[in-house]
Amino acid sequence: MRPLVRVLEGIGSTLQLLVRAASYTPTLPRQFGRFIEQCYLIGYTTMPIVAILSFFIGSVLALQSGHAGQNVGYKQFIGALVGLTMARELGPVMAAVLLAGRVGSAIAAELASMKVYQEVDALETMNIPPARMLVLPRLAAVLAMMPVLTIMADLVGWFGGAIVAKYTHFISIDPTSYFANLRQYMDFSDVLNGLIKAEVFGFTVVLVCCNIGLNTRGGPREIGASVTRAVVTSLILILVLDFFVTKALMGD
Amino acid sequence: MQNPQQTARVGLFFVLGMALIWVTFETLSGGKLWFKDKGYEIIAGFESLKELKEGDDVRMAGVKIGDVARTRLAGRRAEAVLRIDSDKKIKSDAHATIVTQGLIGTGYVSIDLGSDAADYLRPGAEIRTRSTPDLNSVMAQIGDLGKKLEGALGNLGSAFGGDGKSPGLLQKVDQLVAENRDNLRQTTANLQQITDKVNKGEGSLGRLINDSKLHDELLAGIAEIKSGAAQAKSFIANAQAIVDQVKAGKGTLGTLVFDQKAGDDLKASLASLRSVSDKLARGEGTLGKLISDDSMLRDVRSLMKKADRALDGLDESGPITAVGVVANGLF
Amino acid sequence: MPTPSDLPLPPAAAASVTLEHLSKSFGTFEVLHDVSLSVTPGEIFVLMGPSGSGKSVLLKHIVGLEQPTAGRVSVDRHDASDPTTREKVRMALVFQAGALFNSMTVYDNLALYPREHRLASEEGIRDKVMRALQILSLENAAHKVPAELSGGMKKRVAIARALVMEPQLMLYDEPTSELDPVMSATIAEIIATLKEQYHVTSMVVTHDRDLALGIADRVGILLGGRLVFLGPPSALSQPADPRVADFLNPRIDLQNPRFKQLET
Repeated sequence: MRPLVRVLEGIGSTLQLLVRAASYTPTLPRQFGRFIEQCYLIGYTTMPIVAILSFFIGSVLALQSGHAGQNVGYKQFIGALVGLTMARELGPVMAAVLLAGRVGSAIAAELASMKVYQEVDALETMNIPPARMLVLPRLAAVLAMMPVLTIMADLVGWFGGAIVAKYTHFISIDPTSYFANLRQYMDFSDVLNGLIKAEVFGFTVVLVCCNIGLNTRGGPREIGASVTRAVVTSLILILVLDFFVTKALMGD
Repeated sequence: MQNPQQTARVGLFFVLGMALIWVTFETLSGGKLWFKDKGYEIIAGFESLKELKEGDDVRMAGVKIGDVARTRLAGRRAEAVLRIDSDKKIKSDAHATIVTQGLIGTGYVSIDLGSDAADYLRPGAEIRTRSTPDLNSVMAQIGDLGKKLEGALGNLGSAFGGDGKSPGLLQKVDQLVAENRDNLRQTTANLQQITDKVNKGEGSLGRLINDSKLHDELLAGIAEIKSGAAQAKSFIANAQAIVDQVKAGKGTLGTLVFDQKAGDDLKASLASLRSVSDKLARGEGTLGKLISDDSMLRDVRSLMKKADRALDGLDESGPITAVGVVANGLF
Repeated sequence: MPTPSDLPLPPAAAASVTLEHLSKSFGTFEVLHDVSLSVTPGEIFVLMGPSGSGKSVLLKHIVGLEQPTAGRVSVDRHDASDPTTREKVRMALVFQAGALFNSMTVYDNLALYPREHRLASEEGIRDKVMRALQILSLENAAHKVPAELSGGMKKRVAIARALVMEPQLMLYDEPTSELDPVMSATIAEIIATLKEQYHVTSMVVTHDRDLALGIADRVGILLGGRLVFLGPPSALSQPADPRVADFLNPRIDLQNPRFKQLET
């Protein structure tokens, strides 16, 4: 019973935080500096790891499907396979997972320490709502940066797949025919689909990590516990939401 | 807090990301997501749409000109509503065919160019269609073909092989030729006569050959037959393999040549060939008339045109269907 | 060097604080029990008591960081648990540990409040911040981050940050702990100046007896969550209540059985 109550509490407080942060949206223009700072942390500094990992994800996709398909004769479809899988599924999910691990944990740690060391209390006595100063710029920044991270993940993944397809002896498909196949079976709506998913994931990750950070109680030891909880919750939510958002976007 | 370098980096990063999204969009959708060309719609009725589904391509001479907007049942047939780009026109005598591409069953609608003289189809009009054998029936036919070939070649094999008790095939043929020397000579003479007539431009066939326009059409037809033949070549190669197998596997002499009855048949057929050529020379029978009678010319022309169109269809349908058509033609 | 009399404060109506039968429990543990008191505008009220007697919790009720279990806390007749009260009355709380924003420099810590509420141009903010820093001898620390400061400096930055807010009500949680006697005297001078020149209401939580007796208009003593004394500092010289006397003049009795245990 208690875990269930905690989950419901978490959902409730997260939604409350969302509503509060959203109600301060008009203050966003004068928080431009903070917005840029968060964009830098969420987008710019996260990009290298996203690029490296999606390169290998794309490569291994090509390798696995080429290996499985060499006798069945669908290896000419590797371009479409890697392209669609990266754009619709792995690009957004990888970007969101890395966001949770790299940015989500940092957000949870920072806000938890601010809470533990009474900085959040100080903000409240100064009549500066934490939702406005700490949460809103992060949410806005993740919305702006997630499409950029995702499209990079997609493209780098595609190129990773193309390189593997060319230089693996049992596949050896030219990049030209790889990309021709990718273009034949893909539409921009596939990519757009992935971008929408990424926005949902990224927004959720940041919101949940902010909420868990701000709800930290107790001493410094709780900061670590909050970070763990934030990352685990984010990962679970990414995969659960993935299913539902995918289904919703298919329009059933 | 706000550091100009950071702002610039974030700005650059964001612009780069948006540019990449734009490039992806242009490459994958050709800029047709938000301002999608509504085009116009035409209707194509088929016995069966097979693997065709909404969103499949409509191509003319291999170039994408639209897509399948909807598929629906209309009475006793299936209809596909085709959305055609507004700048692409279709001749009213063009035909639509459903083409199945590859083994996994992606399809598209192929529309031929039609003739120069015809009008353009209006939006909402119905296009003529032609059905092609679908993959499954082609496969079944190829299977039958294989069986028949096997039987025929088995017989042939025994004919060539012999079993040592009687003269070989060549001897037998020699004998036949000797026995029928008169007939053959006469046949050759008749043929000579026919060729002369043809040369002089007498009769429909003569006209046909001397008429340069018809000649061109014939040449085009032959070229297309050739390309068809090339595709059939691999098929023949397979047949060769079967022959080889038969040869290697079977040691018995063919009963065909051995058999006195078969020999008689051959004799009789040679005789009838002679009588046919006799008749031809005299202008009897249909073929004779063709040669001697001008009135057949028109029929031949229309026949040529039909053959031409059939060959167009053959070309468009790709190798697998081509084999199907060849198979149909053979049996 | 500016003195506390140069404080950058505009005249603002001082706020009053009223506690009516305030009780607060965390779970089953009662931290405050039926505390009633009122602080009049412009008064310096010093709240004393041993550690764990609920002094800090009481302060947090006044700024709305804690909600009463029973009773009512009001500031200028506005309910303190209502978040909009903070918009109506400017209150500054000097936290015991400073509660500085660790990601910002000292300067930005001080400038945050006027910037967020757009109280002045960047020039005006700079003026205010530099004056507040000078009063607390912090000019050289302006561009340091809190991690580079000692505990005492952090406390001074926290006070400077509260000054920049130009509050109607100042709440100090142990302002002089960790400070040397000279700086403690400066703090006492600041508190007194705020009252004299700007009529600011102050509530000081401390167990520094000299500070309390030096500046207080009235003193309250909390023992175990109950208010056991309320009166002028002069009344503390001969307290009627033996518990208060014990707190103010603790006798070190080496014959106490507790110390005996330590020896063995």
